[in-house]
Amino acid sequence: MRDVAAFGGFGLGLRRDHYRDFLTGDVAVDFVEVISENFMVDGGRPLRVLEQVRAKLPVILHGVSLSVGSAHGLDDDHLVRLKALADRIEPLWVSDHLCWTRTSAHNSHDLLPLPLTRAAMDVVCNNVDRAQETLGRAMLFENPSSYLTFPEDEMTEWEFLAEMSRRTGCYLLLDINNIYVSACNHGFDPEAYLAGMPADRVRQIHLAGHTPGDIVIDTHDRPVCDAVWHLYEAAIGKLGEVAVMIERDDAIPPLAHLLTELDRARMIAATARVEWAA
Amino acid sequence: MTQLLRTQNDFLACLLDEDAPLPFGWDARQASGMAVYRNAYRTRLIDVLRDTFERTARLVGDDAFLQAATHHLITYPPTNWTIDLAGEEFPHTCAQLFANDPDVGEVAWLEWQMHCAFTAADGEPLTLADFAAETADFDTEQWDELRFELMPGTALRPITYDLVTLWGALADPLWASPVEKLLEPKWVLLWREGEQPTFGLVSETEGLALAGLQQGGTFGKVCAALMNHFKTDDAAAKAGAMLLNWLELGMVRRIHSSRQSTSKDQL
Repeated sequence: MRDVAAFGGFGLGLRRDHYRDFLTGDVAVDFVEVISENFMVDGGRPLRVLEQVRAKLPVILHGVSLSVGSAHGLDDDHLVRLKALADRIEPLWVSDHLCWTRTSAHNSHDLLPLPLTRAAMDVVCNNVDRAQETLGRAMLFENPSSYLTFPEDEMTEWEFLAEMSRRTGCYLLLDINNIYVSACNHGFDPEAYLAGMPADRVRQIHLAGHTPGDIVIDTHDRPVCDAVWHLYEAAIGKLGEVAVMIERDDAIPPLAHLLTELDRARMIAATARVEWAA
Repeated sequence: MTQLLRTQNDFLACLLDEDAPLPFGWDARQASGMAVYRNAYRTRLIDVLRDTFERTARLVGDDAFLQAATHHLITYPPTNWTIDLAGEEFPHTCAQLFANDPDVGEVAWLEWQMHCAFTAADGEPLTLADFAAETADFDTEQWDELRFELMPGTALRPITYDLVTLWGALADPLWASPVEKLLEPKWVLLWREGEQPTFGLVSETEGLALAGLQQGGTFGKVCAALMNHFKTDDAAAKAGAMLLNWLELGMVRRIHSSRQSTSKDQL
């Protein structure tokens, strides 16, 4: 199984609003990330756009439908198509989420939370093993944002992710905004979450915006807030080479706005790493 | 059944039906969280339907569309891993809900087929020259047994409204003018030109002929059906003229005769 080499750089999610910018110009990013499922199609313009962008930049395939936490196992058709896309695009890596999305009968098309139990761990690890064996490469899994926890939980989310990574050899995609959102909603200490992460298994960081409220919602529709920037600052100095990106999925602004946010991520990383080294 | 399986079945039942009981042991905090997931589920899927069926929404208005979309999600909750297929049965839902306004189902069908054609498999259409070379020495029997494979994404159906005019009018967000019913039966024919799905209206004759070929009928059988349907002797000539047009439009991917199967990719 192919390992995931570290890649240090700063990138953006490739969204339809910005296709023209990426196809016609040189955008100051080191990589782009795409939603895998948007390109797991038979043909047509989307694949052509992705191949043209891939000719210019490294690409990360980030999925939302693997459903690695599903007690029903993985969807064969999804897995076959994901492998075909990965073989075609040769991405930096393939990632998805620690979540489940479906039962045998229905698909929620949402990243639903898992009970953090030993039994769920076994299911997740079996599914991760199968996905990685099929793809022939190690994957990254992202910590989700969540709006409820289960009475039967037996461990914290960071303990779950660390053990999942140890058992399967998968790597981790640390979404700083998701840590913040879940910390607000469930009352845990986000610094404790960061401290519990196996730093050597983290290959990527997501930064995004959320909607405040009684329950904080992970909406990806606004700039990264100061609290998330501070948490990023606390995390980035302790990690090795990682890929950092701004993730925006709604109310998408002109590309220049996102590049300004990305510059801030660059500056914070540079400063934090100097301070950490000192 | 494992505990995790039970938990996930219960969770999804709650997500799909707000009257479903909360899982045992859940408190108000978990109920609030479930409300967030339930809202996100409905909002996301209705947004996807509104995005895919933009013109249908304009045709019926926001309130009626929201009701139709909500009804659709209850009748056809998504089953596939790709959210792109959430609207697969929506034209059927529209045809049922707006049975007295067939233009609604027809526009929804057209939007869905345009959506599908956009990401249909790629392939090189058979050119007129390739076709001519391949069939140059065909005898009557070979022509009769000739079958056609149309380009991926090609779709057609009979319609009662002028969808070309209606489609153009519905491009305007402030669309308000009614479109009249067609005076004679027509079919709408949709295919992809390069990367761009496109469509046009064709006669009932051409629609029936193409539908026959799409369903695997031989050229001979289609000609016979046309002759029987229209009681004319020049059915073969009419079919030949249509075939020429389909080849020129780039709608034919392969031909299969009793002798060989040919596509542009193989030439």
